[in-house]
Order: sequence, then C-alpha cells, then structure tokens
Amino acid sequence: MSARVGDLATYAVLALLAVFFATPFVWLLSLSLRTPAEVFRGAARLIPHEPTLGNFAYILSDPAFLTYLWNGLKLSALGGGLAVVLAIPAAYACSRLDFRGKQGVLIGILAVQMISPLVILVPLYRWMGALELLNLDASVVAVYGALGMPLAVWLLKVAFDAIPAEIEEVAFVDGASRLQVLTRITLPLARPGIASAFILAMVMNWSQFLVPFILLERDGDWPISVAIFNFAGSTSASTTQLLAAACLIAVVPAVAVFVALQRMIVSALIAGAVKG
Amino acid sequence: MTTRGPAPADGRPFPWLLPAIAFTALFYLVPVIDVVRLAFSDATLVRGASGYSLDAFRAVLGDPALPQVLGTTFVFTAVNVIALQVAGLAIALLIVRGEARGLRGMAAFRTLVLAAWVVPGIANGLIWQMLFDEAPYGTLNSILGGVGLGPVAWLSDPQMALVSAVIANLWQGTAFSMIVFYAARRGIDPTLYEVAQLDGARAWRSFRSITLPLLRTAIAVNTVLVTVQTLNTFDSILALTGGGPGRATEVLALFTFNTVFYNFDLAGGSVLAVLLFTISAALAALVHGWLGRT
Repeated sequence: MSARVGDLATYAVLALLAVFFATPFVWLLSLSLRTPAEVFRGAARLIPHEPTLGNFAYILSDPAFLTYLWNGLKLSALGGGLAVVLAIPAAYACSRLDFRGKQGVLIGILAVQMISPLVILVPLYRWMGALELLNLDASVVAVYGALGMPLAVWLLKVAFDAIPAEIEEVAFVDGASRLQVLTRITLPLARPGIASAFILAMVMNWSQFLVPFILLERDGDWPISVAIFNFAGSTSASTTQLLAAACLIAVVPAVAVFVALQRMIVSALIAGAVKG
Repeated sequence: MTTRGPAPADGRPFPWLLPAIAFTALFYLVPVIDVVRLAFSDATLVRGASGYSLDAFRAVLGDPALPQVLGTTFVFTAVNVIALQVAGLAIALLIVRGEARGLRGMAAFRTLVLAAWVVPGIANGLIWQMLFDEAPYGTLNSILGGVGLGPVAWLSDPQMALVSAVIANLWQGTAFSMIVFYAARRGIDPTLYEVAQLDGARAWRSFRSITLPLLRTAIAVNTVLVTVQTLNTFDSILALTGGGPGRATEVLALFTFNTVFYNFDLAGGSVLAVLLFTISAALAALVHGWLGRT
C-alpha cells in the first residue's frame, strides 16, 4: 500500500520536473512554427492555429546557413575523431601495461580537463598565429583533439579493462605483436566504447563556441554555434520565430544523435563514473 | 613482426602515451605557460608585448568592477553547485526507485534531462532569453498572466537576472550530476537495503544511513567537477544577458571574455585567466586529495 503511495509520489515529482525540462523544447518548437502575428499571442498560441514551416524554409534557403551546419559537423567529427585516435594508445597503455606513475598520468589527464579553453584563449590565438594555423580548420580540430582526449582516455580505459586479457594472451602466444593485438583484437571488441567516446566528443565539440570564435575569423568558416550567436544579434522581436527556427536547427542534430545512441553512451559514462 | 610479442603486463608506456602528451603539450600547456607570461606584459589585441611589469595585475586587481564580478561569480557558482547536485541526486534516486519498482517512463525521463545537457551553451542562452522575454507575449510572463500573476522582470531586474541565469544553467547542467549519482547509487550493494528493510528502517532512514554515506566520495568528486564547470560557464550567460543589466550577471569567466573581446585588453584578460586557472587548479588539487584518500 505505502509502496503504491510512493509510486504516485515518484510520478508526481518526476512529472513536475518533466514540465521544467520539456518547456524550453516545447516552446522553441512552438515559436518556430508560428507566423509573426501568432508570436505576439504568447502562451495562448502554444499550439499555433496557423502552423507554418516557412521559418525553417527561410533559414534553410540561406546557403550560408547550410555552410554553418556543414562546418559544425565537419569540425566536430574531425575533432572527435582526433581525440579518440590520440586517446586509444594512451588508454591502452593505462589499461594493459604496468608502469610507475600510472595513477599520476590518469590524474594528470583529469587535471588537464579542468583547464577551460577560456584560460588559454589569448595565447591560443597568438600561438596559432605563430604556427600559421589561424583561420584554418586544422587549428580548431587540433584544439578539439586536445580538449576531448582526456574524457576519451577515461572511457576507453574502462572499455579496454572490460576485455579479458586472456584473449590477448592467446594472440601473443601465436606470435602477434602488441600493435597487431591492439588493432585486430582489442579495438574491434571495444567498438561500443570507442563509438561512445567519439559521439560524446563530437557532441561536446558541436556545442563549442569559444574555440572557433577565437580561431576562425572568416564568416564562411564558422560552425553553427558561432553563427547563431551572430544571427541573434541581428534579430529583433518581430523575427523571434526565425531565431527559434535557427536555434532548433542548431540543437536538433546533437540532441537527435545523443537520444538515438543514449543507451550505449550512458552505459559507457556510467561504467566510467563507477571506475573514476 | 615475426618476433613474439612481450608478455602482456610489461612494456614501456612512453611510446603509447606520446601522441596524447604531445598534443596536450602543444595545444594546451604551451598556451597555459604563455598566459602567465602575458599576464606580466602590456600586450593588447592589436599590439604585442613590449615590456614586462606588474601593471596589468595592479590594474585588474584595482579595477572597481572586480569585487562585484567576484561576488556575482561566488553567488552564481555556490547556488548552482548546491542546486545542481540536490536536483541531480533527487532525480537519480527517483529514477533508481522507479526502475526498482518497474515503473514505466523512467528511461524517457532520463532521456529528456540528458537532451537538455547536449544543447549548445549559446543556444541555451538564446532559448531561455525567449522564455524570459518580458513582453506580455513572452513565454513565462504570458503563462503567469494567464493565471493573474506577474509580469516578472526576469532579465531587467539585476537580482532577478541572476536568478534567471541560475535557472537556465540548472536546466542544462543537472544531467551531469544525475549521471554521476545514478552510477554511484547503482554501485551500492542492494542487499544493504534489503537488510535495512528487514530491520524495519524507513526510506528516510535508509537514505541517511546507507545512501548518503556510501555516496560520499561521489558527492565530493562531483562537487569539484561541477564547481569547475560552473566557474567556467560563460557562453550561456553571454547569449542570455551579455552580463547585464549593468554587471549583475557578469561572472569571472564572462568578465575575462569581455575584457579581451570588448576592451581588447590582452594583458588584463590574461591576468583574469590566471586568476580563473588558479581557482580551478586549487580545486583540482582538492580532487587529487580526495581521490588519493579513497
């Protein structure tokens, strides 16, 4: 009986919280489907009487906007890929090799993650200029690689730890080198962990504003995160529905990928959190 | 490649660690070292360093705006760190309870909270700016107006603007604490709760005597992670209020950004970055201490 009351209470609290977490998404969708006249009707038009896809059509018909989306995708994917590539050997060493200072390496990696890009914003710009990487995608990708690597190392170490060392030992007996074992046996078995680390890094990169804002000065190179900030500065009350549509387009790819793959990602994160 | 590989447990780690270390050093540690150098210089966005002195430090530390910025940063960080963790812990425990009872919809709810987490910070600020729109047709004010309340000066009143910034940050940030606590709670041996139930312990007693003590490490580590994250949050505030009205929502991270990009003061921005770094490093050392103890 009291368990039933508890169930009801659980649902009641979660329902309240669900309203809080869902409202911004619902409202954003609502605004993006409205005509300007209905924007001014407020909550009374939560479900628009004359819904329109015109706002999306307007935003997506702008070729610059498609370029921003493509830039965002390109930079996020390359940066996430680089982070995973850098992390794989490091995570493998931390998982399979015994060496002095391993704990120090792992904690050092965690410490690096605590340094926000904001701290290095000024020298980063000058340093990239000195390396002649300024205004090149390579500069952003390189920083994304360094930024995303720590979390990827932690997630991949946990994934490698879960693979029994005996499987590798059999291959060693058959004469395989460590590199062969890594590429032929360990990596294929760790695919879910690798995929989770890559997707997480990519989603984080998609959200990045500061790094591309500093390193890419040309409008045509911007990813969507920088572009919507700029776009917001040019909108007014009468174009709220366009800003809503632009925001939705910027938000949906990350949310959709994450929601679609969340079972895999969340279990990787949970495994990492338990070990960490 | 025909020689036999080494036994699994030995080997030199350095070649394996090299790519990660090299990239971190090249694109992270070099700038970190350089930011300290710049902090002692007189560089601006249009001109390099021509000399070194403590002038930038003096100017920044003597800036009459700094006490207010630090105060705002403290309030914003402290309130968020407490609220994020209380909300994250409550949600994690509710979901664990719901799952144990076989209630439907728990995965959907978790997904919803996580969806807010992956919204880009700039978009977060813009979305909440629309929600907080103070015009009669703004989301929250038109809802409040519908039941005869308000209007509330969400963004134009200095104190309310800070509250609004906290709400927007809670919406996005709760998921992180939720995952950490969910993982830690699931790691607790369920027989402990069964024994407690046999002994007639009520839910609150189980929470006090089992859940909280066993989550202590998770809470300690999460506190530091969330504090550092919150301390460095600026893009959502930049898009939401730009730091205003006045300096009401200008936290240290945003102040640093503004010093560089609006005042073109590289040396001053570097001093603020060093300040931010020092606070973060002190907190990282705390984490080390905590991890070392367990």
